[in-house]
Amino acid sequence: MATTTLTGHAAVEARYNDVDPVYAETRDMRLLGFVLVLFSDCILFSSFIFAYLYLRTSAPVWPPFVDGHQLPRLDTAFAAVNSVVLFGSGVTMHFALENWKNLKKGAFNMWMILTIILGIAFLGGQAHEYLSAQMTWQGSAFGASFFTLTGMHGFHVFVGVVYLTVLLVQANRGVYTGSKYFGLTAGTLYWHFVDVIWVLLFYLFYLW
Amino acid sequence: MEASTSTHADHGAHDHIHPPPEGFIRKYVFSLDHKVIGFQYFFVGLLLMVIAGSFAELIRIQLMDPKGTFMSFSTYNVMFTMHGTAMVWLVTIPLVTGAIGNFVMPLQIGARDVAFPWLNMISFWLVPLSAITLFSTFLVGAPDAGWTEYPPVSLQQGVGGALWCLAIILVGVSSTLTGMNFTVTVAKMRAPGMTWTRIPLFTWATFSTALINMIATVALSAALLALFLEHAFNVPFFDSTRGGAAVLYQHMFWFYSHPAVYIFILPAFGVISEVLPTFARKPIFGYKMIAFSGLAIAILGFAVWAHHMFPSGLAPWLQIPFMILTYAIGIPTGIKLFSWLATLWGGRIHFTTPMLYCLAFLITFTFGGVTGIFLASVPADLHEHGSYFVVAHFHYVVAGGALLGFLAGVVYWYPKATGRMMSERLGKLSFWLFFVGFNLTFLPMHWLGLEGMPRRYASYEYFAKAFPDSVFWNQFETISSFLMVAAVAIFAFNILWSLRNGVPAGNNPWGARTLEWMIDSPPPYYNFKKIPTVLARPYDFADPLPYLNLDHDVDPYPAPTEAALQPARARA
Repeated sequence: MATTTLTGHAAVEARYNDVDPVYAETRDMRLLGFVLVLFSDCILFSSFIFAYLYLRTSAPVWPPFVDGHQLPRLDTAFAAVNSVVLFGSGVTMHFALENWKNLKKGAFNMWMILTIILGIAFLGGQAHEYLSAQMTWQGSAFGASFFTLTGMHGFHVFVGVVYLTVLLVQANRGVYTGSKYFGLTAGTLYWHFVDVIWVLLFYLFYLW
Repeated sequence: MEASTSTHADHGAHDHIHPPPEGFIRKYVFSLDHKVIGFQYFFVGLLLMVIAGSFAELIRIQLMDPKGTFMSFSTYNVMFTMHGTAMVWLVTIPLVTGAIGNFVMPLQIGARDVAFPWLNMISFWLVPLSAITLFSTFLVGAPDAGWTEYPPVSLQQGVGGALWCLAIILVGVSSTLTGMNFTVTVAKMRAPGMTWTRIPLFTWATFSTALINMIATVALSAALLALFLEHAFNVPFFDSTRGGAAVLYQHMFWFYSHPAVYIFILPAFGVISEVLPTFARKPIFGYKMIAFSGLAIAILGFAVWAHHMFPSGLAPWLQIPFMILTYAIGIPTGIKLFSWLATLWGGRIHFTTPMLYCLAFLITFTFGGVTGIFLASVPADLHEHGSYFVVAHFHYVVAGGALLGFLAGVVYWYPKATGRMMSERLGKLSFWLFFVGFNLTFLPMHWLGLEGMPRRYASYEYFAKAFPDSVFWNQFETISSFLMVAAVAIFAFNILWSLRNGVPAGNNPWGARTLEWMIDSPPPYYNFKKIPTVLARPYDFADPLPYLNLDHDVDPYPAPTEAALQPARARA
C-alpha cells in the first residue's frame, strides 16, 4: 500500500492496517487478552487495597501503636519525588511508542532507554524507602499492607524493567516493524498500568 | 512475533489449517488441541472425583456411629477438609468449565481452537500440579480447618496449611487463564454471522462463567496469598493482636467463593438449555432471557458474598442489603427455570438418558434453590448456619445441580466426542441409582440440620441423646450414599465399555441443531474445513438449519436417528 503520500497520524494508521488478515486477527485477540490480563491484575491489587481499607477503617487510631509507640507517618516528600520519576517514565514510554509508530527508531531507542533508567531509579527510591522504614512487615497491619502492596507494585515495576529491556533488544533486532509492533503496544499498556496503580497507592499510603 | 514481511495472503484469516501434531507427547500429553485438553480435564477430574468421593464415604462411615469411632477426630477433620477442597477446586471447576467447556465451546462457535492454545495447555497442567501439591500435605500434616480454611484456626496448622494455599492459588491461576482464554475466544472467534444473540446457550453460559473466573478467582488468589504470607512470613493480615482482622479473610474468601458456585452452576445451566430443546423437539423458550439472565447471575453474584457471614459479626445495616441482594439472585434463576419449563410445555419429549438428568436437575436444583432462600434470610440463617441444613443445601445445588448437569452433558456429547453412543441401559441404571441415592442421602440432612445437628462434628453423641432419631437418619444416609458410589462406578464403566461396544453414532444422533453436530464424530483435528456462516440462532425447529458453507451436506431438518432412539423403541 502506498503510504508515502500520507503523513502523521494518517500514515501511522495506514501502516497499522497494512497487515495480512491472519496477523490482524491475532493482534486483535492478543490485545483483548492482554487487556484482560491487566484487568485481572487490577483485581489482585484491588483485593489487597480492600484489605488495607478494611484494616485501616476498623483500627481505632491510625497509624497504629506498636509496643506502646505510635508508628510515624510515611515520608510524603521523598515518595512524591519518586512518584514524579515513575510518572515521568510513563510520559517517556508514550514518546517511545509514538516515535516507533512514526518510524523514528533513534528517538525510540532514546526514549526507551530513558524509560528503563527512570524505572530503575524508581526501584532504587523504593529500596531506600524500605531500608529507612521505621516499621516491619510483621509488626502491624499497617506494615503488612504497606509492604505487601508496595512490594507487589515494586515487583511489577521490576518485571516491567526487564520486559522493556527485552522489547528494546527485540526492536533493534528487527522483530517489530512499522506495521507489526503489538509487543511494544503491550509493553506500553503494561507500563501505564503500573503507573496508574502507583497513583492509587501513593494517595492511599502517603496523602491519606 | 513474526518478522516484517507482510505478505497479503489471498485467503481469509479463517482458512488457516495447521497440520496435526506428530508423536504421542505432542498429540496426547502436551497437546494444544482444545478437544484433547478437554479429554485431559475430563479424566483427571474424574480421577480426582473418585478420590474426593472416597473421602466423603469415609466421612459417612464415621457418622454411622454417633460416638464416631471409625477414625480419629483429627483424621475426620482432614477428610472433610480435603473432600471439600478437592471437590470444589479440583473436580467441579475442571469438569464443568475445563472438560465440557473446552470440548464443546469452540465447536459451537465454529472455531478451530480457543484463542490461546498454549495458555489452554498451561491451564490444564496447573490442575494436576495443584492436585499433587494438595495431596502432598498428607505427608507433612494435612489441613483440617474445613475447605474454607478460616483463620485463626487454619493458621494453627503447620506447613500443610501453607501448601494448601499454594495448591489453591495454582488451580486459581489455571481458572483465571481459562477464563481469559474463553472470553477472548467467544468475543473474537465466532463464525461469521454468529451475532451475540445467535450464540448457542451453552456457549453463552461458558462466556458468563469465564467472566466470573477471570474476576473472582484473582480475588481468591489474593485472599490465599495473604493467608500464605501469614503462614510463611508471619505477616499479620488476619491476626487481631497486631491490627489484623480474621473477618477480613471471610470477606476476601467469599467474594470469590460465592461467585464460584455460579462457576459451577452456569455451565450446567448451559447444558440444560441445549439438552431440553433437543429432546422436547421445540425451540428454547426465551432465548434472550436465558442468555442474559446468566450474565445477570454472573454480575449479581458479586454482590451477595456477605450472606455467608451473618453470624460472623457483620454490621446489622449490612445484613439487610445482602439479604435482599441474595433474594434477587432468585429472579434470574427463576427466569431460567420457567423458560425451561415453558420449553418442555407441549413438547414431544424423548426420555433419553441426558434428558432424564436434565429433568432431575430441574427438581433437585429448584429444591436447592429454595433452601438457599432460607439461608439468605438473616433470622433463618442465624439458626441454620453451620448445621447440616447448609450441607444439604450445598449438595442439592452442587451435586443435584452442577453434577447432574455435567453428567447430562457427558452423555449428550459423548457420541460427538467418540463416535459411539453410550449404553442407554447402563446410562438409565446409573441415572436412577444416582438420583435415588442422592435424594435419600441429602434429603434427611435438612431436618437433621433444622433440629440443630452441627456440620463438621466427628462425633454427635450428645446431639443423639437429645434427638435419638438422628442416629437412624445418619445410618440411613450412609447406606443410601453407597447407591451413588454404585452409580458413579456404572457410569465410569459405561464410558469405557461404550468406547468399543457402543452403537455407532453418526454425526448427529440426537437430531440437534448447534454447529458441533454438523461435523464428523469424532471431530477432525481442525474441526471445520470451511468456516460456516450462521444465519439465525440454532433452536428454531420449524425452520431449516441456519447454516451456509458446511463441510457436509446435512438434513436441513435433523431428527433423532435410530441409533439414538433404538433402546427406547425396543422397550416400547
